[in-house]
Amino acid sequence: MSASRRALAIWFATCIAATLALTFGSLLVGTSSLHTSLHWLFSPDAQSAVVLWDIRLPRTVGAWCAGALLGLAGAVAQGVFRNPLAEPYLLGTASGAALGVTMSLLATDASVGALAWAGRLGMTGAACVGAFAAIALTIMLARGVLQTASLLLSGIVVGFLLTAVNSLLLLARPEMWRTMQVFLLGSTAYLGWPATALLGAALAVCVIPSTLLSRGLDALTLGEDTAQSLGLSLPALRLSLIGILSVATAAAVGQVGVVGFVGLVAPHLVRETVKVNHRQLLIAAPLCGGALLQAADLASRWIIHPAELPVGAVTACVGGAYLAFLLYRRTRDA
Amino acid sequence: MRETMQTPPAAALACRELCVAYGARTVLDDFTLEIPAGQWTAVVGPNGCGKSTLLRALAGLKAPRGGAVFLHGRRLGAWPRRERARRLGWLAQSPTTTDLTAAEVVALGRFAHSGWLAHRDVDDDAAIERAMSATGSLRWADRRVSTLSGGERQRVHLARVLAVEATVLLLDEPTTHLDPPHQEDVARLLRAQAHGCGVAVLSAIHDLSLALTADRLIVLGPDGVVGHGAVEEALERDWLSQAFQTRIDVVTHEGVHLWRPALDGRAGP
Amino acid sequence: MIGKCGARRRTGYAALCVALGALALAHAAAAGAVSVPRDPRRVITLLPSLTEIVCALGACDRLVATGRFDDWPVQVKDLPKLGGLDDVGIERIVRLRPDLVLLSTSQRVGGRLAELGIASFALETDRYSDIARSVTAVGRLLGLAQRAAALNARIASDVGRVSEESIAARHGAGASVYFEVDPGPYAAGPQSYIGELLDKLGVRNIVAPAMGPFPLLNPEYVVRENPDVIFISRGDAAQLAGRPGWDRIRAVREKRICTFPGVVRDTIVRPGPRVAEGMRAMADCLRRVAP
Repeated sequence: MSASRRALAIWFATCIAATLALTFGSLLVGTSSLHTSLHWLFSPDAQSAVVLWDIRLPRTVGAWCAGALLGLAGAVAQGVFRNPLAEPYLLGTASGAALGVTMSLLATDASVGALAWAGRLGMTGAACVGAFAAIALTIMLARGVLQTASLLLSGIVVGFLLTAVNSLLLLARPEMWRTMQVFLLGSTAYLGWPATALLGAALAVCVIPSTLLSRGLDALTLGEDTAQSLGLSLPALRLSLIGILSVATAAAVGQVGVVGFVGLVAPHLVRETVKVNHRQLLIAAPLCGGALLQAADLASRWIIHPAELPVGAVTACVGGAYLAFLLYRRTRDA
Repeated sequence: MRETMQTPPAAALACRELCVAYGARTVLDDFTLEIPAGQWTAVVGPNGCGKSTLLRALAGLKAPRGGAVFLHGRRLGAWPRRERARRLGWLAQSPTTTDLTAAEVVALGRFAHSGWLAHRDVDDDAAIERAMSATGSLRWADRRVSTLSGGERQRVHLARVLAVEATVLLLDEPTTHLDPPHQEDVARLLRAQAHGCGVAVLSAIHDLSLALTADRLIVLGPDGVVGHGAVEEALERDWLSQAFQTRIDVVTHEGVHLWRPALDGRAGP
Repeated sequence: MIGKCGARRRTGYAALCVALGALALAHAAAAGAVSVPRDPRRVITLLPSLTEIVCALGACDRLVATGRFDDWPVQVKDLPKLGGLDDVGIERIVRLRPDLVLLSTSQRVGGRLAELGIASFALETDRYSDIARSVTAVGRLLGLAQRAAALNARIASDVGRVSEESIAARHGAGASVYFEVDPGPYAAGPQSYIGELLDKLGVRNIVAPAMGPFPLLNPEYVVRENPDVIFISRGDAAQLAGRPGWDRIRAVREKRICTFPGVVRDTIVRPGPRVAEGMRAMADCLRRVAP
């Protein structure tokens, strides 16, 4: 086995081992000894059983799925825009989702019809719809998906615009600020089995087509002209990839709020440690992202137990530290 | 666009009344040309006169403002994308660097044949190996392209274009980064493709001596096309001097055309 | 020649900077506190609880404008509204020519008003003890010190009565309570105003004092504490059972949930003269649903 394949195998093994360790850790942290842990795990009383299987397990699995979705979205974004600093929220999704949440909170005081819609969608559904709407607006503003620079600029514009609208709406109802803050900092607190199943389904729906399109992403690294000459339909490829990016990001943002840095750091981390082509990257980045968000979830629960840190704050600290380390290494080597 | 009722051209690659513009600036106007199979045609001209533009327009990468491009007698737009990609190979001027291995890059050349799922059959493997050994890049098949030198990288990309096994090859500055022995290899390779495999080869080359080893020349000047035809015709009609607006002396030594700058101080035309 | 011109210009710039700096310093020093007039007739309040205090002291007619969210008693709804916590309209305040502006210590507009020569007084309104202090202070400012003392006495006795009745009704053993302020879930801890009221009602808050006034809890914690009663807003009450594991909580299972309409909720969350009303509402609910 060549060196790079071996490195990749080690990488996969590490991610899977970390995931398993974190899952067990999530279930067992808080018990006083190994004996108690095992007792808790294999013959819990009724309340402990609820805590373990209805609260902790879906929360940690859900966090993994959300992290995997963000890692995949980040890898796809970096491939489509051929920019290592691209991340899942650059098409305005975060602001759109936040606006969706605000409108669903406002709807509870608007007409009965609006209330029915809000009830049916729930806050998570509203966030998802908001995210999609923001992406649609971005693509419309950029007049299609073909021009990278237009798309990026349009994403920034839409992000600012929707944030401004959101702020105006929140001014009218300042009591919603705290809920909005929780959303904007990310929270894995309420991930139950239905939410986790949804995230898992979204992950399956996104990973499979993206690995099929991975060769197209490889061809894109050779330049758009070359990719086109090889027989790729650039509009179709970009549209599909941006579609996958949208679904993955919207699903994650809907359930856990705006969690930053996971989408940026996971593909980076993979590429810094082992050189891969896109088919391998689109499997490795989700694995890495899932483990990262799981670890952040665990940390957010236990640093100031029984109070909780917003998981987005933890990922921001860790992600920021990692990027600072990269910068330091780059300036040192230069 | 003037619709011509003539029969489509029979040559491997041809354009009729081609008009290419970037915004307000017209680069090519009413240009009609045929690139025959089995011959190596070189495009020469000063910087910025439209060599790359012409190649990109012929490859279908830049939509022309007027006129049409014909591949094997059919309009470019009428070809299904994959079939067209199987017939037409393109090498960009400065290929970007990538994390893929050399073998993976060359395998991408078979994309039009093997498709998305990359099921490589015997033909694909054989084509890849042929292309890589022809360019001498077989020994670094497993190395990452980003770790190769400029010249090695260029040869890998050349192998990729050859792996397509196209009937028309369009190459934009294929000898960039290459040292003279390897430049000569490329010239030999292109000649072999043209004369040996019957491919229509069109390359933009800025090294005049190398360009003069081709079969045909397209000479572009600051005001558009100066002329196109066999190398001998180009030399007779002194197109090079017109294009470069300075005296270009071409010396023929042992059957090989070499150019040298006119250093005797005479002003250009 | 050129060098000398440059030096002269540099000196000129330096002198200008020093002059501007001195001007700014003088201006800042001059903006000290403005003294409050003896008998203010035109009063503006920028916080709902302060409005309630002024009106409870019988000085409602002196109010010329209030903050955006002030809505009790009914007559203040017609008064001009000047803005919320951070976006008070300073221009409008100046145009109304108030004698006194009452605001919270967390509002930054006080300093600006002082610069403009308008008397203002900042009051802290976060805890139960702040109510009596604020009533006394406002009474003193408005020249109604006696009424203020009477009001404080009444509030204290009302609160005491509700507290005793509630404790008696529990028969010594306090129910455990979880008061959710916002989904997140943000709970009201014993250090918050709401937490103090709960303490006076004799119930046990599942949140420990060390966790601060409004901690963001791990939902698992609430499940493990298994509160007997949950206080929550109407909108969020509907999806309590949907939270993972929460359908096992005693309060959710046995439907021991207290929600209040907006007007009543105001009496609970605003530290003001209606504290006894708020406590009574909570006590009534507890009597209904607590085990």
